[in-house]
Amino acid sequence: MSTTSLGPALEKKRVLVCVGSGGVGKTTVAATLGLRAAVDGRSSLVCTIDPAKRLANSLGLSALGNAETQVPAKVLEALGVRPKAALHAMMLDMKQTWDELITRFAPPEQRERILSNRFYQSLSTALAGSQEYIALEKLWELRRRSDYELIVLDTPPTAHALDFLDAPNRILDFLDNEAAKWLLTPALKAGKIGLSLFNLGSTYAAKTLSKFTGVETLQELSSFMLAISSMNEGFRERARGVRELLKDEQTGFVLVTAPQVERLDEVTHFQSLLKQNQMEVLALVVNRVHPLPSPALWEDAARLTQARRVKVEETLNELRVLAEQDAAAITQLAAACPNTPIIQVPRFELDVHDLTALWRTGRFLLGDEQIS
Amino acid sequence: MPGLLDKRLWIVSGKGGVGKSTISAALALRSARAGRRTLVCEVNTQERITRFLERPAAGPTLTLLEENLWAVDVRPQEAMREYALMVLRFETLYKTVFENRVVRYFLRFIPSLQELVMLGKILYHLQEKLPDGRDRFETIVLDAPATGHAITFLNVPHVLLRTVPPGPMSREALKMRDLLVDPQVTAAVLVAMPEELPVNEALELHAALRDKVQIRTHAAVLNGSFPERFSEGDLEALSGNPELYRVVKAHHDRAAQAVLAETKLERNLHAPVYTVPRIFVPTFGRAAIEQVMGHLEPLVTGSP
Repeated sequence: MSTTSLGPALEKKRVLVCVGSGGVGKTTVAATLGLRAAVDGRSSLVCTIDPAKRLANSLGLSALGNAETQVPAKVLEALGVRPKAALHAMMLDMKQTWDELITRFAPPEQRERILSNRFYQSLSTALAGSQEYIALEKLWELRRRSDYELIVLDTPPTAHALDFLDAPNRILDFLDNEAAKWLLTPALKAGKIGLSLFNLGSTYAAKTLSKFTGVETLQELSSFMLAISSMNEGFRERARGVRELLKDEQTGFVLVTAPQVERLDEVTHFQSLLKQNQMEVLALVVNRVHPLPSPALWEDAARLTQARRVKVEETLNELRVLAEQDAAAITQLAAACPNTPIIQVPRFELDVHDLTALWRTGRFLLGDEQIS
Repeated sequence: MPGLLDKRLWIVSGKGGVGKSTISAALALRSARAGRRTLVCEVNTQERITRFLERPAAGPTLTLLEENLWAVDVRPQEAMREYALMVLRFETLYKTVFENRVVRYFLRFIPSLQELVMLGKILYHLQEKLPDGRDRFETIVLDAPATGHAITFLNVPHVLLRTVPPGPMSREALKMRDLLVDPQVTAAVLVAMPEELPVNEALELHAALRDKVQIRTHAAVLNGSFPERFSEGDLEALSGNPELYRVVKAHHDRAAQAVLAETKLERNLHAPVYTVPRIFVPTFGRAAIEQVMGHLEPLVTGSP
């Protein structure tokens, strides 16, 4: 029986979103949650953006691609458990997902124009926030298809976690902005694609702006926006759908962090931001916590020969420093997020990749085991 | 082996959580101690470096921390404003144009413009002169974003040269690219920890910097390493006590992992690897940074 807030979530939620900054073990937590849900009988999909090959290998897959792949049951049986439902995994390919979206929704005569536009190329690969947007977009699509009882999304490693929430708004702004309409109206009316700066509003602002970017850059951007404007309605609807999905009561967020004081601001900020947006924060997972060495170890060490005793005590002292650092950070974290359950996962001796390690992580996530 | 002191722009990157800011802080402190006017730049972060050095946050303006050492947190909005003022020259003109909502809208979506102005600001300071003609900063330490973002960030001049038609933006991009790819000026320091994923990311970063951005890896730093402490004999002697054995074995394994990581980095990067042991202090501050600095001495000076 699970004793943490993630137990009921794995039973009832349809979507779990793992968020946090890079290097905290988000992918591991996401994979573990999907694995546990499948073992306990809910068909699950883990959607990751992290190209960690070993994670794919540990799931018995040679590589993860943009298509959903079932994790072979016999891989899971190696754990000594017989999964009651299927586990699927996929790795999101940003560029491909964007292209699919355009191919599906752009009017046929605009398709090529959009796909080959240089701004589209940047949008789909480099524009800040576009990774986040497309991840959410994919999530929405998968959820609507409803092939899985649970989808676990591992979000892109943003240094600024809030980019993630802002992403649908930014993309919507890009496609649907009063200012842009005003600027483009003359051209839209004239039905022209090749815009001159005159058409661009011929305003003082536009002229000065072109000093920066060059006239052609502005023109190319405008022509891209013209081409894509026919898709606005579709995009708007989907972005609204994404926003609703994030607030849905069957959706929950899992915040993953490391036990470091430097991460504190970021985590509390993100937590309050999620709450402001009426999104449910299920748990704060503090990953790779150093447990305090037990007093018994010190007693045992005292009985060793002098040379060994010195070395062992030095090691225990170091572990104590690490454990105390972590504990202090967690205390601060708990004080800063009083209403969010905190779940601690210990640092395992080696990197967590193989299935056994994922399984052990799961035992802590669900409270079967706890750091003493 | 030339040391970092032979270069002017020291770029520090690696996987998230490996200690990039720690290494950047230590390198910047060392450069300042060598008597070089040094600027350490963070890119739109929560300013770890000033905190490590136990100084008030610098914010988006260049702030003197101590003799020869300045810090700045480069933020997109402020960098954009500075860049605009440089082009437009007049504050009132800036206000009319940049506070216009249509313009603001466009600026947000011109691909990579934010990154361009942030990188532009850093490289501007690299070329900035004092009234007497000397360089304002002899060293700039760039605490770059983590791997994926670092590649995007440093690749911006290249991408723009391909994306935007000839014009003011592409002229800026060209100047920036030339500085970044000049091995006399720029040195990349890749940071990893002795674990598999951070080491692999350092190798990926190395390849991407070399192939996409044309920046050569100067050296790697293996941070948070565990030196070998226990012999096989120790392990055997403790085999009767499973609890203690586990502690000792874990340390032994971590030390072995560090050796493995070091070898893997050396073999694949064809660059020297400098090891910084894990520092055990209750709070990670200036004293810890100075310890780290001591371990980076050969990287900075080039002496063996």
